[in-house]
Amino acid sequence: MIRNYIKTAFRSLQKNKGFTTINVLGLALGLATCLLIVFYVVDELSYDKYNVNASRIYRVNEDLKLGDNKVQYAVCMAPLAQTLKNDFPDVENAVRLKRISGMHVTKGTESIIEDNVLFADPSVFDVFTLPVIYGDKKTALIEPNTVVITEAMAKKYFGRLNVVGENLIIDGNLQKPIKVTAVIKNIPEQSHFHADFLLSMSSYPDSRSTEWLRSDYNTYVLMRKGADYKKLEAQFPQFLRKYSGGQMQQELNMSYDTFEKNGSFFRLNMMPLTDIHLHSNLTVTGELGINGNIEYVYIFSAIAIFILLIACVNFMNLSTARSANRAREVGVRKVLGSARKHLMFQFLAESTMVTFIAVIIALAAAMLVLPAFNHFAGKNIVVNSHTLIWLAPSALIAILLIGFLAGLYPAFFLSAFNPMQVLKGKISAGFKGGALRSFLVVFQFSISIFLIIGTLVIYNQLHYIQNRDLGYNRNQVLIIEHAFELGDHAKTFKQEIKQLPGVTNATLSGYLPTTSNRSTGIFYKEAAVDPKRSLFPQIWSVDEDYISTLAMKIKSGRDFSAQMPSDSNAIVINEAAAKFLGFTDPVNKIIFRSSGGPNPTYKPYTIIGMVKDFNFSSLRDNISPVVMQLNADNSSLSIKVNTANIPALLSQIEAKWKDFTPVHFQYTFMDQDFDAMYRSEQRIGTIFIAFTTLAIVIACLGLFGLAAYAAEQRTKEIGIRKVLGASIATIAGMLSLDFIKLVCISILIASPIAWYLMQKWLQDFAYRIGIGWWVFAIAGVAALFIAFITISFQSIKAAIANPVTSLRSE
Amino acid sequence: MLSLQHISKFYQVGGTRNFVINDISLEVEAGEFISIMGPSGSGKSTLLNIIGMLDEPSSGYHYFVGETVHQLKDKQRSALYKKYIGFVFQAYHLIDELTVYENIETPLIYQDFKSTERKAMVADMLDRFQIVGKKDLFPAQLSGGQQQLVGIARALIAGPKLLLADEPTGNLNSKQGEEIMQLFKKLNKEDGVTIIQVTHSEKNAEYGSRIINLLDGRIESSKQL
Ligand SMILES: Nc1ncnc2c1ncn2[C@@H]1O[C@H](COP(=O)(O)OP(=O)(O)OP(=O)(O)O)[C@@H](O)[C@H]1O
Ligand SMILES: [Mg+2]
Repeated sequence: MIRNYIKTAFRSLQKNKGFTTINVLGLALGLATCLLIVFYVVDELSYDKYNVNASRIYRVNEDLKLGDNKVQYAVCMAPLAQTLKNDFPDVENAVRLKRISGMHVTKGTESIIEDNVLFADPSVFDVFTLPVIYGDKKTALIEPNTVVITEAMAKKYFGRLNVVGENLIIDGNLQKPIKVTAVIKNIPEQSHFHADFLLSMSSYPDSRSTEWLRSDYNTYVLMRKGADYKKLEAQFPQFLRKYSGGQMQQELNMSYDTFEKNGSFFRLNMMPLTDIHLHSNLTVTGELGINGNIEYVYIFSAIAIFILLIACVNFMNLSTARSANRAREVGVRKVLGSARKHLMFQFLAESTMVTFIAVIIALAAAMLVLPAFNHFAGKNIVVNSHTLIWLAPSALIAILLIGFLAGLYPAFFLSAFNPMQVLKGKISAGFKGGALRSFLVVFQFSISIFLIIGTLVIYNQLHYIQNRDLGYNRNQVLIIEHAFELGDHAKTFKQEIKQLPGVTNATLSGYLPTTSNRSTGIFYKEAAVDPKRSLFPQIWSVDEDYISTLAMKIKSGRDFSAQMPSDSNAIVINEAAAKFLGFTDPVNKIIFRSSGGPNPTYKPYTIIGMVKDFNFSSLRDNISPVVMQLNADNSSLSIKVNTANIPALLSQIEAKWKDFTPVHFQYTFMDQDFDAMYRSEQRIGTIFIAFTTLAIVIACLGLFGLAAYAAEQRTKEIGIRKVLGASIATIAGMLSLDFIKLVCISILIASPIAWYLMQKWLQDFAYRIGIGWWVFAIAGVAALFIAFITISFQSIKAAIANPVTSLRSE
Repeated sequence: MLSLQHISKFYQVGGTRNFVINDISLEVEAGEFISIMGPSGSGKSTLLNIIGMLDEPSSGYHYFVGETVHQLKDKQRSALYKKYIGFVFQAYHLIDELTVYENIETPLIYQDFKSTERKAMVADMLDRFQIVGKKDLFPAQLSGGQQQLVGIARALIAGPKLLLADEPTGNLNSKQGEEIMQLFKKLNKEDGVTIIQVTHSEKNAEYGSRIINLLDGRIESSKQL
């Protein structure tokens, strides 16, 4: 009997090759897309979970409020880790990490710049899970001038793995040879920090600092098993008062009580390790790497669910549509004695079989495109035995569930009919009774239109923030990195570069809108320590060519000038700073900095100009106050160029560089740095667009199938109408109208929901677009257009068919 | 074997009841061969469907092989049908996805015959109707008459006690029609199969032992031959 079922099922699938293909491929496409998103989401959610103790590790973050200035740090004070360990029995261990970017590591004659160099306490091995291949983790990081490197680095610098006892030249602050004491496995991709070199913290003199008012170290604690971190957190206020109170009195000449009474605070809080990647975004202030964003995980999960729904709806819709064709078969079978449960079984078996094929295709397809997906999602997802642990059961559940749902309607509905009714042709009227089907079409088109609107809004917003006037010009700016290597010659180098043809301007400063080189400080409106009348801005050291090189606009006042010696006490502030200080015209106003200590002196700074606000951090955030002051900072030299022949200019500059220093010449372009800053946002945008396109394709595939089916259902009617003289256009119109109506209803449903949700999404951006009516118009017209093309293809095909053949087929 | 008492069937059209079968009472003994005649739309097919338990009357009493049909549940009716009845449809109702062979075989599958038995029975039936050559074709590849033959073969395959045939010769030429009638007669005489057929042909009707004439849902006349 089962063979008979399978045979019928198979033949019926074969007979309707077109439908079967659309049905299987549509579902497979949906499942494959969904699977890729699931891979992505699982990957995002798996960050830092490689740590055996992940659930007990917390990073200590710091919140600082000074008057109206608020800052959040991912870094804490140098003595914190050890003090926590001493004072609280619940803290099993603690470790500090300190990242120094752009360290030079020497390989033969080459000097390679490594960005993933971290100083770490020896306890890093007790807190994090870093398997040691060679060496002893107990002693590895105790001595100064020792380093632990990853296997990748061992291979890179020595060409082999066991390099314990070898020496590396790592400069920057350290000039001595550094001894490799251990080789560890590469730190997994899914880690919120990436370290290739772990230098012993004892090599970093500042790590012995006892300052409680300066935060520089990423600090992690390992809680004891069963300990409640909330309880520990509750003791932090008292703890901080105890340790920083004295220093505050000394440095700021203010008691901790007065400090707090003013509404200012210092707070420590603990962030679970596994939350860092998705929930922490303190990039500017001490994050060790670029983190993800839980919002995108939500958005992508939603898209995955949408796509899955659309694909399943298609599948159900087409299966049920086709099953109406088989109502007669059901009727005959019943008359011939088939029990209802047999029929149910037959339909369920059939749809499960089809789902099974689709799932297999989907799995294969997902594996096939995974490398490409990795490439443009900037991920490194691999499928291994771990993946299979959740993938295999999920695939099985998907097969059973989708198969069941798709077979549900024919299995229960058709099999319940009175056979005579079916045989007389009442049920096979198919489409007319398809209220459920109409509902499902509206449902999936609503989702598609929602996604179109969402894509338009997200795309426009991303486009907007990337192309809006940033307040400076990032084009044609060449940045020579590590200009500090030039030492005292930096200025001379700059002057010589400025002489080169094709160079319009140049400035020495590491504080660029596109780098993460930042520092902060406090200004007071009066010569007194009063947090309520303070400004806590970024303080950028620049030279007199800075503003002109970057084409920032002076709103009022003037730029720094080399001719004015008094400018050493002058500052230029941005609009945000002026607003914060409450100055409508800040020019010639004076603000103060405190020297610190018990009897502080106050140094006055005259504001000589105000620049138009310019963006220098995430475009999601409002621009914060910036104070620029004339100060030597040789971190990099930015050159505004004006030539088509960049390579020629570059070689000239490199030649000059070589005159001054043997260090490797390294440069970037500011616009590229800018793009890099927003690469993750851009990637998200691209992925989003790719997925919504797929969702729409899948929905259309379903519509295509349904239209084809509807046309087929009405072949006889079409034939008769044609014989009676109807034109192709009227017939195509008649067939399309039903679907177009459904798409219109979908537009009405999707638009307000999309408007509401996208409006909410936009709220996160400090600079955002408005959602114009045209977005809805475009989405609506696009949906109608796509639907119309899809349907009319089928309708016209049906309409131009020879009526004689279609009539005979009945 | 079969007894209908005051059977009526109506369709609600607008506000009025449209009687298709109007208070029909009919007794059928085992071994009878009845021909039902009447103009188109007089309710012949409807009556046959009711007898075959494929359709339910709106009112009346229905007894079949000692069972009170109007009180039975769907399942029981279906079991009764499976056991006793073979039905030849006016519109053939073959399963498009199955070959001639498989169509004929289907009732046997539902009646749990073994595969070897089925093979023998179907082969026998194909032989009898001289359609061995067509056994691997699908219904769409057959002419109307050939489909009708397959429909009849399928109705007879499980050896029914009651054969209900709705215009079994409607699409056959007169020679084929005659052969079918001969076959029915033989089944009736030799195997004791009770037959009720609907026909428009006087000649075919006369193969039966009784002719019932329907008009507007009533038995207008009944003639014992
Ligand atoms: N679902 C229905 N609703 C209303 N009337 C119906 C329905 N089904 C059948 N009828 C009516 O019942 C009457 C009897 O139909 P039936 O099929 O029994 O006729 P028949 O005698 O078999 O005719 P023919 O010789 O043409 O096959 C017809 O007048 C038909 O219009
Ligand atoms: Mg009839």
